[in-house]
Amino acid sequence: MPGLRDLQRSFRVALLAGDAAALAPLLLEDGMSYESRLDVYRNNISGSLSAVLAETFPAVRRLVDARFFDYAAQTFIRTLPPEGPCLHGYGAAFPDFLAEFPPCRELVYLADVARLEWLLHEAAFAAEVPPLRAAALASVPAEKTPALKLRFHPSLALLEAPWPIDRIWEANRPETGSEETIDLAESGVRLEIARRAGTVALHRLDAAAFAFRSALLEGSALETAALAAFERDPGFDLASELAALFREELVTGISR
Amino acid sequence: MIAAQRVSAAVPARAGLGLRGPHVAEIIATRAAVAWLEVHPENYMSEGPGLAALERIRRDYPLSLHGVGLSLGSAEGIDPAHLARLGRLVGRLEPGLVSEHLSWSVSGGIYLNDLLPLPLDEEALETVARNVETMQEALGRRILVENPSAYVRFRHSTIPEPEFLEELARRTGCGLLCDVNNVYVSCVNFGGDPQAYLDALPAAEIGEIHLAGHFRTARQGRLLLIDDHGCRVSEPVWALYEHALERFGAVPTLIEWDREIPALDVLMREAARADALMRRASEGVGRARVA
Repeated sequence: MPGLRDLQRSFRVALLAGDAAALAPLLLEDGMSYESRLDVYRNNISGSLSAVLAETFPAVRRLVDARFFDYAAQTFIRTLPPEGPCLHGYGAAFPDFLAEFPPCRELVYLADVARLEWLLHEAAFAAEVPPLRAAALASVPAEKTPALKLRFHPSLALLEAPWPIDRIWEANRPETGSEETIDLAESGVRLEIARRAGTVALHRLDAAAFAFRSALLEGSALETAALAAFERDPGFDLASELAALFREELVTGISR
Repeated sequence: MIAAQRVSAAVPARAGLGLRGPHVAEIIATRAAVAWLEVHPENYMSEGPGLAALERIRRDYPLSLHGVGLSLGSAEGIDPAHLARLGRLVGRLEPGLVSEHLSWSVSGGIYLNDLLPLPLDEEALETVARNVETMQEALGRRILVENPSAYVRFRHSTIPEPEFLEELARRTGCGLLCDVNNVYVSCVNFGGDPQAYLDALPAAEIGEIHLAGHFRTARQGRLLLIDDHGCRVSEPVWALYEHALERFGAVPTLIEWDREIPALDVLMREAARADALMRRASEGVGRARVA
């Protein structure tokens, strides 16, 4: 008879890998096979985790249809099961998994739509931090301004993709789904995701604003971020773009 | 931050509801007449809007934290990071009750999202007792441990489940959460007597009762009940609940419903039925005392 640690390992292998050879001799079989009994646990686990993924990635699910989504989700769950019980963090690796999953390799935009849905999900769960008013900038002496760094609302995320994934997502949301045809060659997009007053919103940024906000979000100083923006657009209006960050309630702190 | 005025933490000996996402806004807006609410703490461990809404709800309702992820039966011990998160949540929400399960879900750092069965032997008893003590020390309070639904049994189990739970309570000082539906499901699945199971539990240690619906199916020509929390409490479980009340007296009783979640008033009617049975049981006890 094995110890409890070995028994639990055998149970895990029986549930996730489907191999009950080590576990079976430990189980009572009274009128019903142990496989039928273990299936109850297998279904509980795969059903509940599939439901978690379906809730986080509804547009991906609509794009590939529910049956294929379930198949992809089952494969993902067996390959990368959760490592902890806080399941709102489960699914972070699903977009990369889809990118490498052979059966959907032809849907070139699918992983990027999944990345967008993951960021929208994370934004909904992110901590609440009160925004900083633009007046806080007045306390920064002029000579320190180039070295200024900003802290942002935890929900803020930026995503660039070579396809119009915001339109693909919009057309495949359960709330607003439509049958419109979207031309993949239309254009790539640079997107910003953030939660304001309890609502997660998504909008497009131009190349310069995206470069500016990306650099700041990664922790670069204002001067470095401004240079990145000027590279994309010599007409980049630094003063008004900086003011916009505060007006949009994205900034939660400054450090000099 | 100044803590807002809150109702007392104590969970009353009345029917409460499991708080689920679709009902949060309605409960805040209407201050629904529910005696207390229970949540899974794992759903509130990010500092986001969900926790803010729960803190709002806590102002008006006593709360119970019913953990599903600590894995008290794990041979490799419980995750100190998860326990610390639970401790912070207990500090913020001041729940009247904190509970977990007689089961395991973590092995080799993998979280299997279900309440998996333990062999009921001395090694498992020592393991669970050690983990319960770690949990109670970290939280600085007594917890309740719930009997799970079972679909497999181990050949080397030597201790009947009620006896296992009684001994766990004796060794650790924990209380017990009696899930009457789980008692029924396990007994039907393995041919046990659910009333005898309840009679074998130590009445003084029962701090809470759970009621939920189950799903009936068949495998290889045999009836199999699955604890899916997806429908009303079944009639045999209501009957068993009356027996539990005779044995344990009125204790906080939760209506759980997790799949195909119905409108709030459906849950309120289930709670009202439990409340009525509890009132009758207390009156019965009162009459018995007078006589």
